[in-house]
Amino acid sequence: MQPAPTIALHMSNVETIPGKTITASLGLVTGSTVRAKHIGKDIFAGLKNLVGGELKQYTELLNESRNEAIQRMMMQAHTMGANGVVNVRFATSNVAAGASELFCYGTAVVVE
Amino acid sequence: MAESLGLIIGISFWVVFPVAFPLTSWALGRWYQGRLMEALVANEKAHGTILQSDRFSSTTSKMDNMAATSATLLHVSICVGPSIGQMFLMWIKGIFGGRLQSYDAVLDFGRREVLFRLKQQADSFGCTSMQNIRLETSVVSFSKSGNDRRGTSVEFLAFATGIRQ
Repeated sequence: MQPAPTIALHMSNVETIPGKTITASLGLVTGSTVRAKHIGKDIFAGLKNLVGGELKQYTELLNESRNEAIQRMMMQAHTMGANGVVNVRFATSNVAAGASELFCYGTAVVVE
Repeated sequence: MAESLGLIIGISFWVVFPVAFPLTSWALGRWYQGRLMEALVANEKAHGTILQSDRFSSTTSKMDNMAATSATLLHVSICVGPSIGQMFLMWIKGIFGGRLQSYDAVLDFGRREVLFRLKQQADSFGCTSMQNIRLETSVVSFSKSGNDRRGTSVEFLAFATGIRQ
């Protein structure tokens, strides 16, 4: 898959974008990704389970995937002609053993 | 003589190891997690905590909005899990029910750590205040085999709108 071009939009998880004025609302945009860790890192995390605490491998994986989901949401908003997304929410679900879905959604808006 | 010695070693391997392994894991985990917690408390003391400050709220504020020049979405997540030994002891404790102290400590650590990191991210993005701070908890299991719960860990996600003034 081609890596998505990096675009930066105004984003917030409140109804407005503080400091900006919303001029149009374009509707819902979503982005999601399903990820699994390769088995080597899984084994390493299993070893880490011996002492517990933070599982850095998984933290990293989830952060990467969430950024990807956000990137996809932004792409969608960008193609709609929006330059901001408000009321962004996240959801995580365990879709299958060994895989996790990261989902984010928001309302695309035009701000100035 | 050699046979009975072999028997003793055999029995102790099958009896001692299943008990000693979780206990070792529990002791190691306790020590390691204690160190993580100490580091977090020291960090919170040095850099300040997000809690009990009027600049960081879980609601929106009109006053902040008026003074804002720009805003950005902040999000941090962290995965924490108890050690195998803790899970073993929790399983035993689960027979009788009651408060699971070791799990309490793990979750408390995760939540405080993620809030601390959110504040760090806000600082690095030049945000002076945060609004609509949300905390979400979800169980993630990357274990490849279906019912194996050893790979279970808890993910904490914190996100907020950072305000630059």
